[in-house]
Amino acid sequence: MIKEFLKHLFPRVVLKGNLRMTYTFCLGGLAFTSFLLLAASGLPMLFYYQPLPDKAFNSILFLESSVWGGLYLRSLHRLASHCFLVLIFLHTLRVILTGAYRKPREMNWLIGFILLCLAIFAAYTGYLLPMDQLSLWATQTGMELVNSTFVGGTAIGILVPDGVGQPMALLRFYILHIVFVPVSLLLLSFLHFYRIRKDKGALPYL
Amino acid sequence: MLLLAGVFSLGRFLRPAVRQKKTLLTVARAAIPNNGALVYREARVALIREAEEIYALDLVCTHLGCTVSVTPRELVCPCHGSVFDRRGNVLKGPADRPLARHAVEIRGEQVVVLL
Repeated sequence: MIKEFLKHLFPRVVLKGNLRMTYTFCLGGLAFTSFLLLAASGLPMLFYYQPLPDKAFNSILFLESSVWGGLYLRSLHRLASHCFLVLIFLHTLRVILTGAYRKPREMNWLIGFILLCLAIFAAYTGYLLPMDQLSLWATQTGMELVNSTFVGGTAIGILVPDGVGQPMALLRFYILHIVFVPVSLLLLSFLHFYRIRKDKGALPYL
Repeated sequence: MLLLAGVFSLGRFLRPAVRQKKTLLTVARAAIPNNGALVYREARVALIREAEEIYALDLVCTHLGCTVSVTPRELVCPCHGSVFDRRGNVLKGPADRPLARHAVEIRGEQVVVLL
């Protein structure tokens, strides 16, 4: 059944010329691969991370020093997050340069843009979680940036009700980082892939 | 094969190296003089009591690891002359970090130093 389902995902006929790599460089696929890597390295870390301001940093030190593979997993998560952002930016650039956002793919351009924003938000929320000096002040400056926009006050009231690095704010960043953002990323990605298929592939109509 | 490796790795990942605290010393609480210290040179620990507070200073100098000598006023390292106060803070270098402290547990009339 699984085999048939997978077979069903692909079009019945594919032109050989459409399989060339140099048009897309697989940037979107690579970005999704790093997303999968992020999930695979992030999920095990949930067993050790404690989202409390006075416990978070120590739980990460513990993960790195006393857990087999802990340092490797965290490094992998960090590196994959960098790759994810870089690849998704390059993918956006490719879409712009090849004009792939035009009709009939406007819908997928919109979904892709939301995915880009979600990826940045995922990185931002994840940055606070270690609760070291760098993450605390980087989040603080990020919040100042949000504050300068016209919805800033409301956004800050929701994101950090008791100030950056305080218990409620950390818990919210944590929940956003491990549940809401990744789940929406995943669902929208599937919609994104479905739209590619629906729009008859990535290449321009010949 | 890959599945087996995954299960094995996850199993190892989920069993962290939790350090069990070992008992270093057990001392009667009354044996520690008020505003004084009990020094154990072999164990390299000084139990110090200041009014109601009891703490265990590690006597390993934070400079190069010699055993510091406890004098009535301060703790002096014989190797390079670092001086620490009774709470373990550095008064004079070359050491630049305060003396470490061991966890102390009070069980009834006994004071237990954990390592």
